[in-house]
Amino acid sequence: MKSNTSNGKPIPLVADFQMREDLINKLKNRFYTYGYQQIRTSTFEDYDMYSAITGTVNKDDMIKVVDASGKVLVLRPDVTIPISRMTALNKQQYNDHLRLFYVLDIFRQTFDQNGKKESTQAGIECFGQNTPEIDAEVLMLAIHTLTDLNFKHFKIEIGHAGFFKELIAEAALNDTELEHLKTLIQSKNIAELDTFLSSLSLSSALRASIQSIPLLYGRPSQVIEQAKDIVLNERMQKELNNLEQVITILSDYGVDDSIVCNLGLINNMNYYSDIIFQGFTEDVGKPVLMGGRYDNFGGQYSNPMTAIGFAFDVDFLKEVLDQQGSLTTNDTIAEIIIYYEQAKQREALLTAYRLREAGYQVLTFPIDAMDDVGPIPSINVIYFDKGRCTVNGYQLEQKLSDFTELTKLIQKEGAGR
Amino acid sequence: MDTITLALAKGRTAKDSIALLEKMDIFFKEFHEKSRKLVFHSTDKAVKLIFVKAVDVPTYVEKGAADIGIVGRDNILEAQADVYEMLDLGIGKCRFVVAGYADPDLKDKQKLMVASKYPTVTRNHFQKDNRSIDTIKLNGSVELAPLIGLADCIVDIVETGTTIDENGLTILEEIETISTRLIVNKASFATKTATIQDFINRLKETLE
Repeated sequence: MKSNTSNGKPIPLVADFQMREDLINKLKNRFYTYGYQQIRTSTFEDYDMYSAITGTVNKDDMIKVVDASGKVLVLRPDVTIPISRMTALNKQQYNDHLRLFYVLDIFRQTFDQNGKKESTQAGIECFGQNTPEIDAEVLMLAIHTLTDLNFKHFKIEIGHAGFFKELIAEAALNDTELEHLKTLIQSKNIAELDTFLSSLSLSSALRASIQSIPLLYGRPSQVIEQAKDIVLNERMQKELNNLEQVITILSDYGVDDSIVCNLGLINNMNYYSDIIFQGFTEDVGKPVLMGGRYDNFGGQYSNPMTAIGFAFDVDFLKEVLDQQGSLTTNDTIAEIIIYYEQAKQREALLTAYRLREAGYQVLTFPIDAMDDVGPIPSINVIYFDKGRCTVNGYQLEQKLSDFTELTKLIQKEGAGR
Repeated sequence: MDTITLALAKGRTAKDSIALLEKMDIFFKEFHEKSRKLVFHSTDKAVKLIFVKAVDVPTYVEKGAADIGIVGRDNILEAQADVYEMLDLGIGKCRFVVAGYADPDLKDKQKLMVASKYPTVTRNHFQKDNRSIDTIKLNGSVELAPLIGLADCIVDIVETGTTIDENGLTILEEIETISTRLIVNKASFATKTATIQDFINRLKETLE
């Protein structure tokens, strides 16, 4: 399917679309089973709202349009922001607990080097409660979904933004230093991290703590034990306890094999406040899933609600599954084809109608047109010609009351799509 | 134990890297310098080695075509690849520098024309000081650019500085020191944690 390209843009094939739909349905079905309900937000959003919220979407990345009155709008650059705004505005109605999921396109100037400007996001947001039980359940949902998708081998990496923030608060760094430090920790560049930390005036305990952050990686129980050694104050201890509780609950879900702890996972720190996680699968450098808890984020509005969520990039998922050979191609052959001679048109079309009513997929062709159409692969073939009706080679008495008999002869395979 | 794929940069550090691997008891029988082969398997089949152009190593590792890579930091910085950079192998040491004629007027120039094999590194360096520049991407003999007036100065890696000297240029600024690094694909680190951590520890021991 990858070979079908013109001007570098892939031609969306029908089978390709069907695979994508199947994938989305798998996600939706799993989200439903955890009590999530689907919503959508407007495609056009107020530019001023986004430009007022810092630390989320780069202004230059947004795709802007101007309406008739000269007002500047943007094409939905993010889903979490409008959803959390919506819930913040209508907080009272929700009883403080709300589970939502979405499958929506988002638009940015630069998703990748290939100039792609839109991406379909499928994700969930759980508003209202900040408990280790909710965090663990959301992580379990992520694992469950990845299992549904038949990923060969995947791991959810769990970190804690709050733990790192409390640690780094001790150091009182300026913005440039903090950015540099984050880059070094994210790339686990221990050699350079040592040099950089020596250039700052930090207490030896603090320096040792920061130095060990990139190394806190691996089996959760082990990482948490090691992390206890670098705790410098009560607030860090509190954050670490939170992480430990979540891990303990996850353990009861029986998914220890699917998780690793990575306390050096500090991407999107401005966004996330506590648990933060991403899903990796074999041989793909980019995470297939990202998420975390963002408690302060809603604080940009008057009535903040605490929330945890994650999202998949649907097309990236499909690409990865395709590459791993885990996508099943649906056969695109027809269920039933009816060929008829002119004299039997009425009977043929009526039969087609009744079969369609019964849920079958039916194509009809006049026999004369067969030469033009060429052979079409199908599971069942029905002929109305020479005054007879033949179903898959069996001859029927040509009466409409034989509909029951006709359906008996139709093979069911391929019907359950 | 899982097999791991290692991308190794062709060129000046390849021989040293192979020597390091041999110290770890990872041998590639078929490997010799003149070989045109690009894929080698270690005698114990634990490591698959792919031999690629240095600039491509970060790409192979970032995209997951290789689990780990051995390559100079110059190429990592230029590619801005999202990978773990976990060990300094201490070989292939050199420096990123700005070089050109020792001309005091250069500082006052509104916009510098800078030639380099590393346009990203160049842009980032000058951006840090808020100096505006135009970069010219060249693929070799960068020292030539100031000589024939194509650029005001160059950004390049130097080991001893001989090439710079012989072409009548001087080092104007030091950007940073570089050396050969071990990089790791983030997904591989998550899915093959034990194997990769073991590899890194063994490599670390040989370095000590």
